[in-house]
Amino acid sequence: MTVDFIYNFLNDLLPGFLGNDLLLILAMLLPFFALFGFITIYGFGVIYAELKVSSFIQDKTGPMGQGYGFHAGKWGLLQPVADGLHLFFKEDIIPATADRPLFILAPFLIFIGMFVGIIAIPFGEAIIISDMNIGIFYILGIGSLAVIALILAGWSSNNKWALYGGMRSAAQIISYEIPAGLSLIVVILLASSLSMQEIISYQSGGIFNWIIFDNPFMPIAFIIFFISALAETNRTPFDLPESESELVAGFVTEYSGARYAFFFLSEYVNMFVISAVAATAFLGGWQSPFPNFLNTPAWSVFWMISKAFFLVFVMIWVRWTVPRLRVDQLMHLCWKVFIPIGLFNIFGVSIWTVLRG
Amino acid sequence: MVKYFADIYNSTTAILSGMYLTINHLFRAKKGIATLQYPEERWPRPERTIGFEHGSYNVIRSRLHVDIDDCIGCLKCERACPVDCIKIETEKSPNRGEDIKDINHIGITSNSTKKALVVTRFDIDMSECCYCNLCTYPCPEECIFMTGGPNESRHSIDYEFSEPERTDLIYHFSKPGTKDGLQEMLNNREAEA
Ligand code: SF4
Ligand code: SF4
Repeated sequence: MTVDFIYNFLNDLLPGFLGNDLLLILAMLLPFFALFGFITIYGFGVIYAELKVSSFIQDKTGPMGQGYGFHAGKWGLLQPVADGLHLFFKEDIIPATADRPLFILAPFLIFIGMFVGIIAIPFGEAIIISDMNIGIFYILGIGSLAVIALILAGWSSNNKWALYGGMRSAAQIISYEIPAGLSLIVVILLASSLSMQEIISYQSGGIFNWIIFDNPFMPIAFIIFFISALAETNRTPFDLPESESELVAGFVTEYSGARYAFFFLSEYVNMFVISAVAATAFLGGWQSPFPNFLNTPAWSVFWMISKAFFLVFVMIWVRWTVPRLRVDQLMHLCWKVFIPIGLFNIFGVSIWTVLRG
Repeated sequence: MVKYFADIYNSTTAILSGMYLTINHLFRAKKGIATLQYPEERWPRPERTIGFEHGSYNVIRSRLHVDIDDCIGCLKCERACPVDCIKIETEKSPNRGEDIKDINHIGITSNSTKKALVVTRFDIDMSECCYCNLCTYPCPEECIFMTGGPNESRHSIDYEFSEPERTDLIYHFSKPGTKDGLQEMLNNREAEA
């Protein structure tokens, strides 16, 4: 579902109806709005899920309501809407001593970094906005844009807590990019391609062909990737950059209203992106777990989204189970545990592929 | 080296057992929930067991209520209040002991005392009240009382009366429009005469 495809489709549908340039712009805008709609619905859904799962885990009810009016709808279903409205109608404060342009730029930069990552995620054989031959590399690269945004946010707020938070998140994201990259390299070794679609087609033919079951090293690689990716989202147990007990709110300390909402939403979008990458690289992407069964394009969207959502659920689950790490523990985990094991994995898989021929 | 792998093993098992615990709570959500949807659901109030019958224990500190139909406007409760949070204004009734339909005034109390005064204002500021109960004892008609408890038959208990505005905590017990209504009625009568 590339832009070219939509362009040709529209051209066939309405020949000569619009000028060529207009048609091209329309063809570009369509996936954009589809993505935007998807993110909006996903955002509401995942925030609601987070509230409910966290409450159930703690034996609470979460948002509830017995009707309308000032209640949050049946079962609190309108709670994310209320939260969103609340954030968007709040006063937008920019501190007097803040670096204004950078302060305004940072939330957009982080949101763009997350948003643009989705375009390389395949939802089906043809349902991908941009099928790049370096898709996985592109997502890793674009994801690192977040570091710049977080440092910008921390620096431009002109606040010591924000600066500490920004520095910590930079250190953390840069460190954890390495084990995440190392475990993706293993996948690339097996699939011998950087393209998301080719990695998926390597795993076709049922659950036992998925890369996670390919050889004994892969589950380890999957776990390393998943935990490192979790660390990159700055969520508990890796939420040192915004740890409330030490840093007020870290790099978002000075943000309020809609700008805060951007940081908030980009965290959840990021969760989806890395879950989708993990699903693509290890869990067969849009492939059905049964060979030649439920493998039509509509089902492929279902499989992709349900695999990604399951991993998002695991992230929420982990968040409400595991307490926050200390800074030294965080660095220990990355540099002394994940990176050696990741390197060993690459070594092992290389030998495995050579021996298997 | 052994410690390194032992640490990895320990932390993995610890995290997994923690996650097992939390997922259990998640799936038990239906029956394990400890919170209540407060305004709709409440915990049952425990019965008071203080040794004697509820009715013979005549002190409860919940919220004041006034049966304004029985109040004769004697101001005894106002004088008794140590914090002066009761404000009463009265007007002389034109016909002692008779109902005045226009303002819903009832001439005789349930103790068959004829009322000489119309209570035009009876305000209690519950944000100032210290719940000392001193105002209820002097009342000759026993018409000012705390809700619930021994008075349950007269007014059900109400100890949850938070309000969004502080002024909403001033309870107006006199019938609305009594003051103006009485004045208007007297003016009309004068005009007729
Ligand atoms: S209970 Fe005490 S403080 Fe409250 S109104 Fe009566 S006398 Fe005043
Ligand atoms: S003591 Fe009783 S009758 Fe007298 S004014 Fe107060 S409430 Fe009315």
